[in-house]
Amino acid sequence: MKLAGYVLPIDRADIDTDQIIPAHLLTGVETTGLGEHLFKGMPGGRELLEGAHPQADVIVARENFGCGSSREHAAWSLRDRGFRAVIAPSFARIFHENAYNNGVAPIVVAAEHIDGLLGAERLHIDLIDETIATPDGGTIHFTLDPLRKQFLLEGGYMEFMAKRIPRVRGWLAAKAS
Amino acid sequence: MPQSLFDKIWEAHVVEELPGGNALVFVDRIVAHEITTPAGALEIQRNFGDVLFDPKRIVAIYDHVSPAKDTETAIQGKILRDWAKRHGIAMHDIGQNGICHVVAPERGYVEPGMSLACGDSHTCTLGAFGAFALGIGTTAQAGAMLAGCLILQRPKVMKITLEGRLAHGATAKDLALYVIAQIGFKGATNHVIEYGGSTIESLSMDERMTLCNMAIESGATTGLCPPDETTFSYLRGRERQPTGEAFERNVARWRTLRADSGATYASEIVLDVSGLRPIVTWGTNPGESAPLDGTVPADASAASLEYMGLTRGTPLRSLGLDQAFIGSCTNSRLSDLRAAADVLRGRKVTIPTIVTPGSQAVKRAAEREGLHDVFQDAGALWTHSSCGPCLGMSMGVIAPGARCISSTNRNFPGRMGAGGRVHLASPAVVAASAVLGHIAGPEELAPVGAAEASVR
Ligand code: SF4
Repeated sequence: MKLAGYVLPIDRADIDTDQIIPAHLLTGVETTGLGEHLFKGMPGGRELLEGAHPQADVIVARENFGCGSSREHAAWSLRDRGFRAVIAPSFARIFHENAYNNGVAPIVVAAEHIDGLLGAERLHIDLIDETIATPDGGTIHFTLDPLRKQFLLEGGYMEFMAKRIPRVRGWLAAKAS
Repeated sequence: MPQSLFDKIWEAHVVEELPGGNALVFVDRIVAHEITTPAGALEIQRNFGDVLFDPKRIVAIYDHVSPAKDTETAIQGKILRDWAKRHGIAMHDIGQNGICHVVAPERGYVEPGMSLACGDSHTCTLGAFGAFALGIGTTAQAGAMLAGCLILQRPKVMKITLEGRLAHGATAKDLALYVIAQIGFKGATNHVIEYGGSTIESLSMDERMTLCNMAIESGATTGLCPPDETTFSYLRGRERQPTGEAFERNVARWRTLRADSGATYASEIVLDVSGLRPIVTWGTNPGESAPLDGTVPADASAASLEYMGLTRGTPLRSLGLDQAFIGSCTNSRLSDLRAAADVLRGRKVTIPTIVTPGSQAVKRAAEREGLHDVFQDAGALWTHSSCGPCLGMSMGVIAPGARCISSTNRNFPGRMGAGGRVHLASPAVVAASAVLGHIAGPEELAPVGAAEASVR
């Protein structure tokens, strides 16, 4: 699956989930429609989004993206605003899992690539081949979690879990005996 | 092969190895609160026939916005409540509730060796009991409610050995901030921190919870304290724990939950904390801290300084404050309130000060000791239990540019209100600062009664 690849560069580390969507906006019970709240907690966040390419679907940021709270609303708001990937040298664990479960690819690349990627207007990203083609003709390979890649591309986390119920019950029964 | 404590707990819960180094990990207990649970409960209701793997393993706790502040949060609460009732899930509703990480242990829902998950990053608090307790997203929680399991990458294990007794004035909060400063704000990402050493052994369960509460602030999946007699005596007689023989049988089993000697770790750190002094954050993440006696560091990041309205070299003690807050899952248990009350007894606060007990049970216990009188005599606001000002979601929001000293765990930009500035510290430091109106330690306060004496 290929992305449009228009980049929203955010030259910051440690973008926490309070910045992605602040707590006072977590009062709903639906997972859609949160795009309007994206980056409302980030200093300068609204201006950043206003300046973004209308088809921007990739964020490039520095390390530890998505740290802090477990709120899946962070992934929901990114997804709802049209973002399909975040490229960063590292992600906080809970956000990393949430992103996979909501069609937002958490793409880990070495820190040395970030300067170049922050400067790119458009990248060619193929989530199936796990490659980023850069404007200078180079290719960066990344690795997605092979199990979660399936949830990323097709959804189905809950269906996967539902299928495991008999096995889990069996495991539990064996443990009890 | 000798195993770490975490290895043992992990292996006892792996149902199935999955591709890509993932594992299907059984969850013994799910804690559900009203902000992150409803969407998952609705998903199961809409697509999977409203069934749960085992409602008896779930506990619902009304916590973040308690009581509801508007229609939307009332709907969240109603969905949680109706769902709990429908499935016979134990629920701690408004009036018998509090912050889930405070209520769950005080009611005995967590125990050594268990796996426990909740849609809240500070679930790591409960690692203090020697449980694998971790925060997860709503989808992962829904999956666990449906199928009893999480999909996890096996975390690495970082061993942190703390040696020495805490000196007078140093608290578990200072210890937590110190550890984060040592290993870095993201230094334990994808790791479980296994604590050990004489310091841990000397800490009460409240203190261990304060320490483990902030494991996530170094990126850790959770913190883990080896269970010992302190753990067992805390749990003995708790509401959800068995009594008599049955409890003692569990204790015998828990006593075996120890790291093997010779266990290997991804990394090991030993810290002598006997000289620890109070610590306060100056920046915009919990790793950006300095000793209370210190200054804003010379290598402070420009972005943090700008947000916090600070310059390098400024003494922390000189910083004027607009609000003080004592509460949150880090520091709102009875021992924390006692520490704050010891400072405030006979004194007056000079800035708006909010004291929020971590649970209604803590509130009642504090009132039986007269702590509510101490706080209110000092001029502080004594509230019901809730997350309160901690996350700028319900009450106690601070204005842009306002500076708040807080016993909470996060000082991210906007955490307690858009543009607000948060300094993290222990309850005693928050209380002393509330009296003086600037960041201060209890030793700076005039003896109680001295002020009146000098006036006369
Ligand atoms: S007290 Fe604060 S950190 Fe703790 S659970 Fe509530 S909002 Fe989260």
